[in-house]
Amino acid sequence: MLVLSRHCEEAIMIGDDVEIVIVDIRGDKVRLGVNAPARVAVHRKEIYESIREENAQAASLRGVLGSLPGAPSMAHQRAAAISSIAAARISA
Amino acid sequence: MHRITPGTEFHMKVRTTRFGEVEIDPTRLLVFPHGLLGFARFRTFALLQPDDRGVFYWLQSIEDPELAFVVTDPTAWATGYTVPIRAGELTELGLERAEDATIFAIVNRRDGAITANLQGPIVVNAASRTGIQLVLSDRTGSTRHELVRLPGTAVAQSA
Repeated sequence: MLVLSRHCEEAIMIGDDVEIVIVDIRGDKVRLGVNAPARVAVHRKEIYESIREENAQAASLRGVLGSLPGAPSMAHQRAAAISSIAAARISA
Repeated sequence: MHRITPGTEFHMKVRTTRFGEVEIDPTRLLVFPHGLLGFARFRTFALLQPDDRGVFYWLQSIEDPELAFVVTDPTAWATGYTVPIRAGELTELGLERAEDATIFAIVNRRDGAITANLQGPIVVNAASRTGIQLVLSDRTGSTRHELVRLPGTAVAQSA
């Protein structure tokens, strides 16, 4: 891993179009500013990881969820909109 | 030469672990250019609808019969839930307005409850059939928003 020392308001460039600025340093907390093109996704790593973990667990889900007690009914318009995306009906 | 239009009788057979062979309408496939988080290799999915009244759907991978997610319309459960879609994400989806997006949340079973991941919603352009999974940076939603608490252990385990 490349390790660099930077002062407040200094920055590093990653490639031609990603800039990371040290905005503020207080105690053990550093505030970073990221200037990046819209196509570059920037996330806090722990949020990214938690979603990844949730996806992995969700992929192992089995069973029928259609008749859960307490499930709300959908607004007709939304249900119709989603039906228009559905590629098939399944009897599960 | 035939042009395939939605709603025609043309079908494609897809092998799935959970539902056996499913005949789907190939004009209704959903493409996720980046896949879903942790599953980047799988780009093409079909939304499967179990019944007319249900609020749950399956997002079934076309490339891997084993890979499928239960998804739901989060707004049916969490009133006021909105997804802040950034300009770059709208462009990528080919959407002009955030209101035109169709939103899904991936469903999970966690600690005796059915939960939905509101932190990483799936956003779809229904017209172009393109989707992305967003990572919401602000903590407006939880990755485990409880939808239904499951009674006892008699969970809907078997298909």
